[in-house]
Amino acid sequence: MLQYIVQRILLMIPTLVAISVLSFLIIQLPPGDFLTSYVAQLRQEGDEVDEAELESLRQRYGLGQPVHVQYFKWIYGVLAKGDWGQSFEWQKPVKELIWERLGLTMALSMGALLVGWFIAIPVGVYSATHQYSWLDYVMTTFSFIGLGTPGFLLALIILFLVQSWLGMNVGGLFSDEYMLAPWSWGKVVDMLKHIWVPLLIVAVNGTAGNIRITRANLLDELNKPYVETARAKGVKEGALVWKYPVRVALNPFFSTVGWSLASLVSGTTLVAMVLSLPTTGPMLLRSLTSQDMYLAGSFLFLLSALTIVGTLLSDILLAIVDPRIRLE
Amino acid sequence: MRRIAPNSISRREFMRVSGVAAAGAVAVACGASGEPEPMEEAAPADSAADSSEAAPAAPSSQYSEAPMLAEMVAAGDLPPVDERLPVNPMVMPVSETNGNYGGTFRRGFKGVSDRWGPTKMQDRGLSWYDQNLNMQPRMAESWEINDDASEWTFHLREGMKWSDGTPFTTEAIRWWWEEDETNTTISPSIGGTWVSGPERTPMELEIVDDSTVTFKFPLPNPLYVYRLGRQTRNLYLPGHYLKQFHMDLTDDQDALQAQVEEAGFNSWEEYYTDRRWWYLNPDLPSIGPWISKNELSNELFLMERNPYFFGVDSDGKQLPYIDDVSHRLFETNDVFDLRIINGEIDFQARHVNIGNFTLYKENEESGDYKVFLGSASGHSAIQLNQSTKNERLNEFFNIRDVRIALSVAVDRVAINELVWDGLMTPRQYSPLESSAQAYPKQANAWIQYDPDLANQLLDDAGYAEKDSDGFRLWNDGSGETLSFVIEGTAQPGTTDEDTVQEVIKYFAAVGVKAAYKGFERSLYEEHHGANEIEAAWWGGDRTVVPLVNPTIWTCEQPDRPWAAGWAHWRNSGGTNPAGVEPPAGHWVWTIWEIWDAIKIEPDAEKQTQMFHQILDIWAEELPMIGYLGERPAPIIVKNGVRNYLAGFPLDDTTGDEHLLHTETYFWEDPDTQST
Repeated sequence: MLQYIVQRILLMIPTLVAISVLSFLIIQLPPGDFLTSYVAQLRQEGDEVDEAELESLRQRYGLGQPVHVQYFKWIYGVLAKGDWGQSFEWQKPVKELIWERLGLTMALSMGALLVGWFIAIPVGVYSATHQYSWLDYVMTTFSFIGLGTPGFLLALIILFLVQSWLGMNVGGLFSDEYMLAPWSWGKVVDMLKHIWVPLLIVAVNGTAGNIRITRANLLDELNKPYVETARAKGVKEGALVWKYPVRVALNPFFSTVGWSLASLVSGTTLVAMVLSLPTTGPMLLRSLTSQDMYLAGSFLFLLSALTIVGTLLSDILLAIVDPRIRLE
Repeated sequence: MRRIAPNSISRREFMRVSGVAAAGAVAVACGASGEPEPMEEAAPADSAADSSEAAPAAPSSQYSEAPMLAEMVAAGDLPPVDERLPVNPMVMPVSETNGNYGGTFRRGFKGVSDRWGPTKMQDRGLSWYDQNLNMQPRMAESWEINDDASEWTFHLREGMKWSDGTPFTTEAIRWWWEEDETNTTISPSIGGTWVSGPERTPMELEIVDDSTVTFKFPLPNPLYVYRLGRQTRNLYLPGHYLKQFHMDLTDDQDALQAQVEEAGFNSWEEYYTDRRWWYLNPDLPSIGPWISKNELSNELFLMERNPYFFGVDSDGKQLPYIDDVSHRLFETNDVFDLRIINGEIDFQARHVNIGNFTLYKENEESGDYKVFLGSASGHSAIQLNQSTKNERLNEFFNIRDVRIALSVAVDRVAINELVWDGLMTPRQYSPLESSAQAYPKQANAWIQYDPDLANQLLDDAGYAEKDSDGFRLWNDGSGETLSFVIEGTAQPGTTDEDTVQEVIKYFAAVGVKAAYKGFERSLYEEHHGANEIEAAWWGGDRTVVPLVNPTIWTCEQPDRPWAAGWAHWRNSGGTNPAGVEPPAGHWVWTIWEIWDAIKIEPDAEKQTQMFHQILDIWAEELPMIGYLGERPAPIIVKNGVRNYLAGFPLDDTTGDEHLLHTETYFWEDPDTQST
């Protein structure tokens, strides 16, 4: 086991290097650079930027240099000094920007993930064991609606309903007075007042999908001979289902928990935009459209790293949970 | 030397009354009750000319201050108001009435790159517009120009102070010019406002004394004062504070270097530039009515009153009236709209979309606000690139009759009703009616709907043959269908995109095939930069004070490409490879000739006259084709906010909804407002 983990970790290093190069290249692919979009924006506002000024800005941001020089400067900063570079658009160190938002993003996404599975497992198990009962149909209907409704649409509808019925604005995670305040008990309470809406919305999609997965997997398992055998030997139905087939049916949970690490950062982008949440998703999207290189590059790098780490975690978890999996 | 009195620039009956009447009509149609206020300015128009003779500050009873500042004075944290104000403070004209202190303005913004909302609230220059859009003294007490307008002498207000209490003198201007703008490390090139002629010869700055400064240009620069209205990082800088971040001037270079590295910047000038932005550095001393309390990269950006602001009202109350301004971040406009109808936005025009006019109006009562209408400077217009690389298309677009045909082929009234609920006015791209350069002759040239004439003109131009679908063929006998692509950044579902699609249908009705392609903005910029654009769909703005920013009319504005190649050629002096020299004898040469003469014409009347000569060419030649304009611009004004009036133009040049001196806006009853 230990050897397996070490091997996997060593393999991660070249993968990460390749990813960092790729992500940097991809950001450079679209025509123009940050300055093109920045100047476009300035012009839209009526600011005059003439060619000479543009050239001086380009020099300042080092955008005139070849891509590989820009890349090595950046990666050197990351490795040697933990400096992820400056965001052009926000005019702040990337590190600060990402960390500022990462905590909330993690809380929201983890919360949604846990809520999702917490609901999905019992419901899925019930659906499978009571296949074609009326309650199964009801739950199936709900989960298909949940699957079919995009999160952002749901967010818009909930925003509108809450606004028109309760006269409340559910956008954002904090009230004005707490937005800038340091963390305190009051701020946590204030956040809890706001966070349930996005949590619910983000959780709905995941929950619906998970119900279907759990149900389908469990149905496969329920007819297998080992279940029959256990039943024949007189194991109680409840204990039987929960102890054996459910365990196997949960494999997808463990194998996907790894990828969800990355989607923790970017998965809720649309919902976060609609609800104006201070999470990383909207910032990632914007950094990509405005070609804010170092911010976008750092995000892509972070996402890839999380995916790789997540996959490793998944594999380890699976190996522990499911003894049938071999390590060679 | 001539003394500039406010009246010297030709006054024109300002069209606000008509604007309000129009806005009123719309408002009535929507069931609102808005009555126009009298448009008298509270301060006499010649106050500025008299002000230098006004009596200096006398006993402490002369001025009063906001309660929050009075408390600080009582606690000894702040000097008394008389010491904070200049000897001769600016007496701000108010639109309605003198106000009272207190309250917060809540607004919205979209991130650091959207710095303009907060910035336009608080930036201040030497001069500013009055209600007639003439320039009046502001930070400067008065100014003089020499006979050919190449030398401008400004008199600052004696005893004016930075927001940290340090005296504001001509040293601030000198420091900016010598240590910043002409320092090639910080600013490799000097901004266009401060240079003359194609060689970009810099101005000379002469510091006469602590309150007198002369700007000397090698060529006449009669429009200079218009460029001094809004300045946030140019013209003056707090050298006493910024010195510590300036490698050439700091006392301790090693310490600065360490600071630069710690802050994560590559070089000192990057760090310096960062520290120089008022919205990124709350410690930076400022001049405007509010100062930043935190950084704009936060979710909530806070501004608080500047205790040293140089303006008072006619009762001697130090301005601004409003205590705080807060800007809250939003990612999508839906969220912002929701805040508006929820009554969470107190005063804002930016990001308020006319497309949602009905939504805003419906919720006026529940949200406890009013939708004011001003007139936006933008138009719905098409630019046919008359310098396009596509030769056949180039020939087509350069036929005057073709451009006229494409103007009269479109039923402006119908599109106005269909897409804009009749809120726009059919017109060419032209200065707004409220502008001193308004020119109805050009605004109304060829705006009638006459498809028969269009067909006739196109037939006569040599494009009479059509394909089986009824589309006209190229005139080169190739048998191929004439067609072109209109590029733009308008996205599907917007009123802007609906308009261009309708225009394309009208083109098709006279046999001209065109298609619209929406582009991401930077890709669009790339295309135009390489003169790859065939035609563009882009609202023309800058129609309020066109003389300040005439580049669309003079074919010098690259991103409104009615002739992108010519603009590149002209702007680069012929060096830009994407540039195309216009044909000899073309009317665009005449436009350039006239504009070069306007630039050095000191007499304002003559400037307008000559500008109208350019517009005559426009009326004749239709360089770009406008369809609709005078678009009403909605401004959300919470009930109880005073001193902002409906009906004014909203344009970048005149500071949008901040035209009427933001420091004089106030809450009728600040105690009832949430903070």
